[in-house]
Amino acid sequence: MDNTVGPSEMIIHLGPQHPMMPGPFRLNVKLRGETVVDSEVEMGWIHKGIEKILENKTYLQGITIVDRICYLAALTNEEAYVGCVEKLAGIEVPERAQYIRVIMEELFRIQSHLLGMGEYASFVGFVSMFMYTIKEREDVMTLIDSVTGARITHSFLRFGGVRDDLPEGFKDDVKRVFTNLRKAIDSYEELFSTDSIYKARTVGIGVLTPEVAKDIGVSGPPLRATGVPFDIRKDEPYLVYEDLDFKVCTQTAGDVFARVQVRLDEMRESMYIIEQCLDQIPQGPLFPEDTPYGRRTPVMRVPEGEVFHRVEDPRGEMGFYMVSDGSDKPYRVKIRGPVYPTLQALPPLLKGVPLADIVAIAGSMDTCTSEVDR
Amino acid sequence: MDAKAMIDSLSDQFKGGIYDTNVESNIRITAKVKPENIKDVCRYLKDKLSFGHLCCEFGVDYPDRNEIEVIYVIGSYEHPVVLTLKAILPRNNPEIESVVPVYWNANWYERETYELFGVKYLNHPDLRPLVLPQEMLGEWPLRKDYKGFPNKTAKNLV
Amino acid sequence: MAEVEAVATNDKEEMPEEIPGVITTSSSAIADFLKKTKIQDVINWGRKNSLWFTVNAMGCCGVELLSTGMAHYDTDRFGIIPRNSPRHADVLIISGYVTKKYYHSLKRIWDQMPAPKWVIAFGDCAISGGPFYESYSTVQNIDEIFPVDIYVPGCPPRCEALIQAFVELQNKIVAKKDKGTDY
Repeated sequence: MDNTVGPSEMIIHLGPQHPMMPGPFRLNVKLRGETVVDSEVEMGWIHKGIEKILENKTYLQGITIVDRICYLAALTNEEAYVGCVEKLAGIEVPERAQYIRVIMEELFRIQSHLLGMGEYASFVGFVSMFMYTIKEREDVMTLIDSVTGARITHSFLRFGGVRDDLPEGFKDDVKRVFTNLRKAIDSYEELFSTDSIYKARTVGIGVLTPEVAKDIGVSGPPLRATGVPFDIRKDEPYLVYEDLDFKVCTQTAGDVFARVQVRLDEMRESMYIIEQCLDQIPQGPLFPEDTPYGRRTPVMRVPEGEVFHRVEDPRGEMGFYMVSDGSDKPYRVKIRGPVYPTLQALPPLLKGVPLADIVAIAGSMDTCTSEVDR
Repeated sequence: MDAKAMIDSLSDQFKGGIYDTNVESNIRITAKVKPENIKDVCRYLKDKLSFGHLCCEFGVDYPDRNEIEVIYVIGSYEHPVVLTLKAILPRNNPEIESVVPVYWNANWYERETYELFGVKYLNHPDLRPLVLPQEMLGEWPLRKDYKGFPNKTAKNLV
Repeated sequence: MAEVEAVATNDKEEMPEEIPGVITTSSSAIADFLKKTKIQDVINWGRKNSLWFTVNAMGCCGVELLSTGMAHYDTDRFGIIPRNSPRHADVLIISGYVTKKYYHSLKRIWDQMPAPKWVIAFGDCAISGGPFYESYSTVQNIDEIFPVDIYVPGCPPRCEALIQAFVELQNKIVAKKDKGTDY
């Protein structure tokens, strides 16, 4: 961004600590009157050097670190990391463990969307909506807590399996929570689609066309809201997603309203996936039998090689590129987060919008700064 | 077009520019590219083979071989094939042409690789540090011989 | 981006030396005197019951910070209200690793808060660096820079732990053992 300001222009810094921000980042906007002329995103306020740390941890210790890349998608981060090692070492995951992974990851998707949507709603003026979504989210968190024993960071996945089995009565708990959640999502949808003030703030705002969205490399709900059915779960199936029946939720408008609608639909779809999994889940071991892999795999050497494994995060395409040199630590791990291109795409999207729409557009992207900075 | 046909088409187009091609599976292909060809190769990939989605771009440091590899992982919205392109640069003066004119979102990846590895991108629109403060430029923290890691000054450890 | 230069307002020289009928003082003599009297207990009772905190989500713990202030845990019932502006807040919650880049901003947030103010180090990252204690990018030993009153261990700590931290802070204020600056 050019720092010189013309007549009746000014530069405003939003952040790094700002109510709009889900985490610290800085948005410098140049305004003419109330219209954004130019903008620029500054990153790195919480860059913690995870890639360097991972190079110096053993593979098992790495699971704990990758949890903390994005605190709203801890299990999908683990899935991408563990998937890399499993591909390199050729580990087969037993079917029951795969089902448990799918259940937990979809539960995580639901809680992430609930929080993201609530935060976003509070940005556009619905603070009470945030209260509603957090209330439902706590129920989902209790479900996750009952399996993994933690709310945010789990270290739940292991190479070749999962740490713990589902507890007794889990299916009934899920049924009870989902009955409430379905009602809640319906009421959110009704609220969003009938409130004229809300619609005035979101319909036709921040429109991404499919061509532009592809060009700037976004993925996940912002891309699917433009009508592109790009979903790693379908395009490059991992775990048991091939055997499950679900559809990729898309909208065509590509505006703020459509992005939120995609998240609402995805939550319903995730619930449907979890219910299928709970009906189909077979009995069996949690780790491949007759192998050393288990809850604790103290020293593990992974064969030399390079692999790129990607999974569908709540926010889009999460990929890990891992280079192994045959030792007990990865030689290099690259984390490809989904929000990285999305946040990068903010300046072109914000060009020409009024100042008040910045929060609606930035909020609807559901950014997670921790993962961009790593 | 399947993975094998894609890689053949690419190596036919750039004879000598693309080498060491390998089809790992029907959705993963790898190739090495001469640094001077990278922009043309990317342009061809995007226009002719519909590789329109740059997943990521990053560096890997190999001090023993005195090389820095810059790796481009390129996917597509139309087909499931993912291509891994590697450009090998000398470690003492790593320079490569920027691919921002082809893939718009390479901008931040290249800024990050610049500040963490010291890879200089030619004709980059805005080559500044992205995640680190300005005064840390020149330390190249993700290189293997970086001295500042591990930082042992923390006190309240258990 | 250029930083805004600090401009000193209400300079000593510009202020009138004496206003008729008004006693002005720049020392903390009154505050020091009050501390010795019973009225300080009443003041502290008021302070402990309205501990508003800043919402600066800096890491994983930031998510728990958000949940704590919302419907389920509802800290409003203790008078603990999340505030987005540091100028409205009494408690700074350091909810994550402080990086070299963010450190200056955090210091500035701290300076913007009006006294009396307190610091809670929420989570392992703020206490010792947590899983990132070796990193090249983080500032170590935050408690040497900020006067931390309460440490909440956990990675991340649960919401209940944050509520307990506030209760402990209230107890400290009542007992006048806190590090809240400038009574």
